[in-house]
Amino acid sequence: MGTDIINKDQKNSKVRTFQGPGLRSRNCPETGHSKHKWRNIRWSVLLLFNFLFFASFFFDIQILEGTLSGSRLLGFHLIDPMAAFQVILSSKIVMINLVIGVVTIVLFYLMFGGRSFCSWICPYHWLAELGEKFHNILKKKKSFKRLSNYKFDPNIRYYFYIIFLVLAWVTGYTIFETINPVAIISRSIVYGPTLMLLWVVALLVFEILFSRRAWCRYYCPVGVSYQLIGLLSPLRIKWDKKKCSNCKRCLSVCLVPIVLTPSVNRGKAEYVDSSLCTRCGNCVDVCDDEALIYKIKYLDKII
Amino acid sequence: MTEKLNETQISRRKFLKTTTLTLTGGAVAFGGISVVAFKKDQLQLRPPGALAEELFLASCIKCGQCLQVCPPQVVKLAGISQGFGIGTPYIVPREGACILCSGLPCVLACPTGALDHALSLGKDASMGLAVLTNPDTCLSILGVNDLIYQLKNLQKNKKTSLDQIQLKEILTSLIKRMSENEKKTWQKKFVLKDISENTLMEGVKKIKKMDLQWIINFVSSSGQARTACQVCLDECPIKDEKPIVFLRKTDAETGRDYIYPSVSKTCVGCGVCEQKCPTTIASIKITPRLEWSKNIT
Repeated sequence: MGTDIINKDQKNSKVRTFQGPGLRSRNCPETGHSKHKWRNIRWSVLLLFNFLFFASFFFDIQILEGTLSGSRLLGFHLIDPMAAFQVILSSKIVMINLVIGVVTIVLFYLMFGGRSFCSWICPYHWLAELGEKFHNILKKKKSFKRLSNYKFDPNIRYYFYIIFLVLAWVTGYTIFETINPVAIISRSIVYGPTLMLLWVVALLVFEILFSRRAWCRYYCPVGVSYQLIGLLSPLRIKWDKKKCSNCKRCLSVCLVPIVLTPSVNRGKAEYVDSSLCTRCGNCVDVCDDEALIYKIKYLDKII
Repeated sequence: MTEKLNETQISRRKFLKTTTLTLTGGAVAFGGISVVAFKKDQLQLRPPGALAEELFLASCIKCGQCLQVCPPQVVKLAGISQGFGIGTPYIVPREGACILCSGLPCVLACPTGALDHALSLGKDASMGLAVLTNPDTCLSILGVNDLIYQLKNLQKNKKTSLDQIQLKEILTSLIKRMSENEKKTWQKKFVLKDISENTLMEGVKKIKKMDLQWIINFVSSSGQARTACQVCLDECPIKDEKPIVFLRKTDAETGRDYIYPSVSKTCVGCGVCEQKCPTTIASIKITPRLEWSKNIT
């Protein structure tokens, strides 16, 4: 199997070079996406945290009170940075509890990798992941063969981030919070479903029919705050050039494939340094060469 | 080959450009339109310590922590009909009123200060003011005893079984008002072992619909059951400052003496009087955000 691919590559080498930067000869077994270790851990964490939000109120166990916009973990304030910035800009008041909550969140995600919020905590992301799977299943059916997957400008999220912060400051209302699907779902989980869930359903339907995980990939300003934290967070995916056999399966499972290209495609980076990486671990799961692992960057330099 | 690639590249760039422009433009337009469309004039009763409505909407982060810590669990979260208020806390006093519990846990729980942390005592809150909106139905003005009124309503109900929850509520206040002698009469009638309040409450389960007439007569003849309703005064959680006082007045036409509830400056608008008002539609209601200076003319 492996030799077949190499031959094919050599034949087409005039048009495009498939030879990647990995050093190992290409003989990895085609087992497909067999392991789901990190995905299972991740989904368990995601469901556990959202269940804790629910149970803290429903069963009154008071561990994680509140919703994803603002909560208290055993009494310590946690505030979503995007929501906090909006509140500060719209009310023009800086409350000390807000600052404490945001700083706690920033410190936490500095340790655990910024946008890890998206894939490890955010309930909308989980629904969108399921939506993506549903999209792929539909696409295999004959009648849905031409199901489209439009790609938008990924910079829209930054425009949205700025627009909604400016709008909060100008109008004096936290406008984005009225349509924030993350907050809507989180509130629905804790306090019971509301009509605003229809908006979330509409988003999901759009994603399944037109553009896979569009909200998370192109629009969501909530993720931008976490992305900024992720710029500095040392918890990253490490790519081992010597072990990689260049099968590119990681690129097919990656939630944000751009982040892997500097290393896997071009061989220029040892770590996945893009702040867009959600540290979901899909690539770690799929890699049979164990070339991709979770690692703390700079740790070896410190010790 | 290269020409074709360029064509797709060009169309893709065009698509990206137009969608980006539409979506960012859409977001700005949404912001502009929503300021008009989402604005609602109808005021809600907010939890104690809420900032002025505009500032409250700006500062509330919609986390619902005030709802979680509320001991009587009366705080609700607003839905889609509330416009900008989606996810903000409010109280419907008729369904469950704020009891101004000590320490004000909702205020302490608020992470953004939308419920002002400067407020530490329930009696200093300013949620609104109670207003006697339906004086025509007010039992004290009509000179009707609240217990008899409620018992008669129960009697009128055509169902054969008694509404136990309602009956329990009525008899709790009746038993509280009874004197020693009345308790003894009650004990004899319903064959109870002693006259402690617990045993009397236990005995409520035995009461059947045919006993109602006896109870009505008992209340009418007893001295402790006042003549006219004063439930709003009895239930008011602020005792020392007397937000509600009963004043005496004479009807100019008929010459009949009657009492009526008068709300004073110290009312904070908690809504307990509205919740407990025995008439079908509450005679006394909270006007949210109303302040005394504006009320007095």
